[in-house]
Amino acid sequence: MTTKDIGPKNPVQKGAEATIDYVDDRSGIKTGTRWFLFRNIPAGTSWFQTLGFTAMVVFGMQAITGIILAMYYVPDTKGGAYQSIEYITNEVTWGWMVRGMHKWGASVMIIVVFLHMARVFIWGAYKYPRELTWVTGSVLLLLTMFMGLTGYLLVWDQKAYWATVVAVNIFASAPILGPYIGDILRAGPEFGPATLSRFYSIHMLVIPGAIATFIGLHLYFIVRLGISEPPWSKRRLRIERDEEDARRAAAREKAKALPGSVNYPASWPVEAKEGAR
Amino acid sequence: MKPADKKAYDKDYAQAKKTGKPFFPYAIYKDTIVAGLTVVAIIILAITIRVEVGEPVNPATTDFIPRPEWYFYFAFELLKIFANQNALTPVIMATFMVPNIMIILLVVWPFIDRGPERRIWKRPFALGLTVIVTGMLCYLTWMGANSPAGVAKGSLPVSGLDEQATKGMAVYMANGCGSCHMVAGVGAPGPGPDLTNHGSTGWDQAKLIAWFKAPKAPMPSYASLPPQDLQDLAVFVGGLGTKYK
Repeated sequence: MTTKDIGPKNPVQKGAEATIDYVDDRSGIKTGTRWFLFRNIPAGTSWFQTLGFTAMVVFGMQAITGIILAMYYVPDTKGGAYQSIEYITNEVTWGWMVRGMHKWGASVMIIVVFLHMARVFIWGAYKYPRELTWVTGSVLLLLTMFMGLTGYLLVWDQKAYWATVVAVNIFASAPILGPYIGDILRAGPEFGPATLSRFYSIHMLVIPGAIATFIGLHLYFIVRLGISEPPWSKRRLRIERDEEDARRAAAREKAKALPGSVNYPASWPVEAKEGAR
Repeated sequence: MKPADKKAYDKDYAQAKKTGKPFFPYAIYKDTIVAGLTVVAIIILAITIRVEVGEPVNPATTDFIPRPEWYFYFAFELLKIFANQNALTPVIMATFMVPNIMIILLVVWPFIDRGPERRIWKRPFALGLTVIVTGMLCYLTWMGANSPAGVAKGSLPVSGLDEQATKGMAVYMANGCGSCHMVAGVGAPGPGPDLTNHGSTGWDQAKLIAWFKAPKAPMPSYASLPPQDLQDLAVFVGGLGTKYK
């Protein structure tokens, strides 16, 4: 190929390159990585724009701690659930810590997701062309809240139990569909063993699956449309200043062209000149 | 946004991208720092404020007001705000109308606000909304965090109970009625009305039982209780303030 190619390659390197090429031929992984990792973002991209990534990392942490907890947790209303929580908290090595991280992670995730949403709202980043990014994000917020609701019951203590009874009753009190939603959540007309299993599967499988799917969609939109530029980035402010200067220059020209007008110094604001006229 | 505005935005953004920097490593390093600090904060919280094991579930008693996680306090408080309204403004406002309107508004917001302006100080309505919604959420959460937490254990300070009324009171306690109603100063101040003098409203047993089976939202239906329990409960509630004080 080139003159630098002076000898046979290291067989390991050769093998690695061949493997990457093989995979790339079939998957387009090189293009995909370039598209994702080396895309350009506006130079003004700010620290406030790290909250979405942070929410995703916290979700990942919840998934990992959640998997560890699921290895010990028993969704059994006849004492098994409560005992397994006691066991995790008091007996399992680092168990208290994993449970603590999962519990605090939930609160932090809610805060981070809310701040992320507030940032997007204040910056007007949901406007054209990113409307659907906002829609997928708002679904993610609702799913996160629902995650908190279903996870709360699993510890199966008094507070969690009664709070969830009330919450499910609130769902069930909605008109028309309410009673059906109540029955679906409770797995029947009353709270019982089936309810705990249902919440367990919703909390571990249904919502995480939905969240992962929507994170995928959300990311696809972000990469495809590009991350929004801060409305007050240096570049934007410079453009606005240039536009303002052009407007003033035009107004000055106009003022000069008018017969009998005074020639005001160029540094005077346009408004003052117009007011004086 | 008019098509011209969209075109102008696309052009402007393309320019921003052209003069921009690659995502890796310029954005990734900021992301990693903030996410890393957040994870460290979670670990510190987990170590310093240990999670406790609560009391085991006992569906037969509710000796305190159910408390959701702090991030649902606002919804919880909303219930209380609409609790003492008359029949014309039903409690359904708090459990159904208000949250659902908020959720729908949240999801479809980009299709409502379609103006090209992105600078917040030139969007007074959006700015006002941010301040009001955030303020309301903080206020309601704070209110929820400071609402009374305890309900007397076992029984209510009511005397003169006969055998059936005692059973009725047990049904009352077992089904968490005290989580929404107050009797003689014990129980939650809402969303349900104070039942201390319910006997004097003149509701007979049939009316009470019909109500337990098909109440107005957000009170849940107790139609699944055994008929005898409903009977006992109706005797107990029907005599509050008159026979049982």
